Amino acid sequence: MEGIKQFFDFTGFANLTTGHIIMIMVGILFIYLAIKKEYEPLLLIPIGFGILIGNIPFLEDAGLKLGIYEDGSVMNYLYYGVVKGIYPPLIFLGIGAMTDFSALLSNPKLMLLGAAAQVGIFITFAGALAIGFTQQQAASIGIIGGADGPTAIFLSSRLAPELIGPIAIAAYSYMALVPVIQPPIIKLLTSPSERKMRMKPPRSVSKIEKIIFPIVGLLLTTFISPGALPLLGMLFFGNLLKESGVTKRLADTARNALIDIVTILLGLTVGASTQATIFLTPQSLLIFVLGAISFAIATAGGVIFAKVMNKFLSDENKINPMVGAAGVSAVPDSARVVQSLGLKDDPSNHLLMHAMAPNVSGVIGSAVAAGILMAFLLNI
Amino acid sequence: MNPIVDSVKVLADTLSSAGNQSQALHEIGFNPNNIIENDGLLISVVGYVVVFLALLMLYIIFSNLTRFLIFRQRKRLKGAGKESDLQKEKLSMTGEVNAAISMALYLHFEEIHDLETTVLTIKKVQKTYSPWSSKIYGLREYPKRR
Repeated sequence: MEGIKQFFDFTGFANLTTGHIIMIMVGILFIYLAIKKEYEPLLLIPIGFGILIGNIPFLEDAGLKLGIYEDGSVMNYLYYGVVKGIYPPLIFLGIGAMTDFSALLSNPKLMLLGAAAQVGIFITFAGALAIGFTQQQAASIGIIGGADGPTAIFLSSRLAPELIGPIAIAAYSYMALVPVIQPPIIKLLTSPSERKMRMKPPRSVSKIEKIIFPIVGLLLTTFISPGALPLLGMLFFGNLLKESGVTKRLADTARNALIDIVTILLGLTVGASTQATIFLTPQSLLIFVLGAISFAIATAGGVIFAKVMNKFLSDENKINPMVGAAGVSAVPDSARVVQSLGLKDDPSNHLLMHAMAPNVSGVIGSAVAAGILMAFLLNI
Repeated sequence: MNPIVDSVKVLADTLSSAGNQSQALHEIGFNPNNIIENDGLLISVVGYVVVFLALLMLYIIFSNLTRFLIFRQRKRLKGAGKESDLQKEKLSMTGEVNAAISMALYLHFEEIHDLETTVLTIKKVQKTYSPWSSKIYGLREYPKRR
């Protein structure tokens, strides 16, 4: 009889809490959104399933080595790559190997939109300080506005490891929900005539420009912000593998097998890190709210800056203000949102290539911002 | 007193009083003074300016790099005596034109082929007989009534 009681104590039913049920429902919702609505399935399926794995109730502190936060458990070992910031640079390597910077190089002024959209990071940083978060926590929350999951994880692993779970979930959720969050903000800030604005077709970019870009880009950005070196170093390295034309095998591995493996591990462990007993706190909820605000401000910042730029540009060089919204670094989702909104107003106005420019410069911008925040706030 | 420090203090006081007036914000502990006390304003402004400067420098370098490359190309063409190719349109094509040319070349070399090769690829394979591979031993023999 004693054995049966002990067995029951070990089952999920005996350890189930309301928090577990809520988180399991959230996991199922993520999987539903990924399959039914096709919102970033490559992210939401691993994260959603990770949430299920992380919220199977078990007898904690019994030495079972099951939970992601228990030393020695398999999930704990895999989570090491998140906590120590190993996965984000590897993801950046893959992103670099799959990104074509020619849209950016053909119209370099669009880089400024990627910088403008980073305003969300710094305003939210100030807002989080006002609410009472520490400097390090506030910076990690603010970076959600960069809409760049790997950068958010990287910075929070350095500055506020205790908040990695909610920050990563918030960052990836908002990345996946770009098609829901951005259109109302864009529509609010632009008139139908502005949305119909056509842009000059991008010029062709020579191979030498594409090769020079990762080298000069690395030297310039990391001399200014060395804290971003792990991210930008890998991003530009991956891009050089692609553009050099002589390392096709390495570039193929980086943009296919490697990034897929790391995405699986990252998504699954980030999802599993939402163990209800640790994750479900008022603080996590606050992080979600601040993340949403940060993301909205970033989108608005990009659009408004594009309108300001138009005041100084000649008629033939004017920018469709919607393109500014792609300055958040959710690649390529926000560029796709701009393209689909553009097509709604004018079915022959293709803005995807133009929107890709601020989109990829947003990746650089948010990594530079993360490096700057690290330089200010890392406790040495 | 430094006018910048003064104005920052005034801004902090204004934000603080606004925060105190709002009961809803007060409940979640909104205190704008925390921004000043934790160098929030300084870090935000400096951080944003530095991000902007980094990308502004990239913009300046790459917009001039294009001009330099075109200038070098013009010089090379002039040296080779190809004066007719020096027009702006010929030196810088749009990506759309390049894409159309690439597509045409791809279709020409890879896709469209009016003539099929006439070489037959089915070959007759000669096999010598062996009882081990004889078909008759692989067939089922039904019992016969005598």
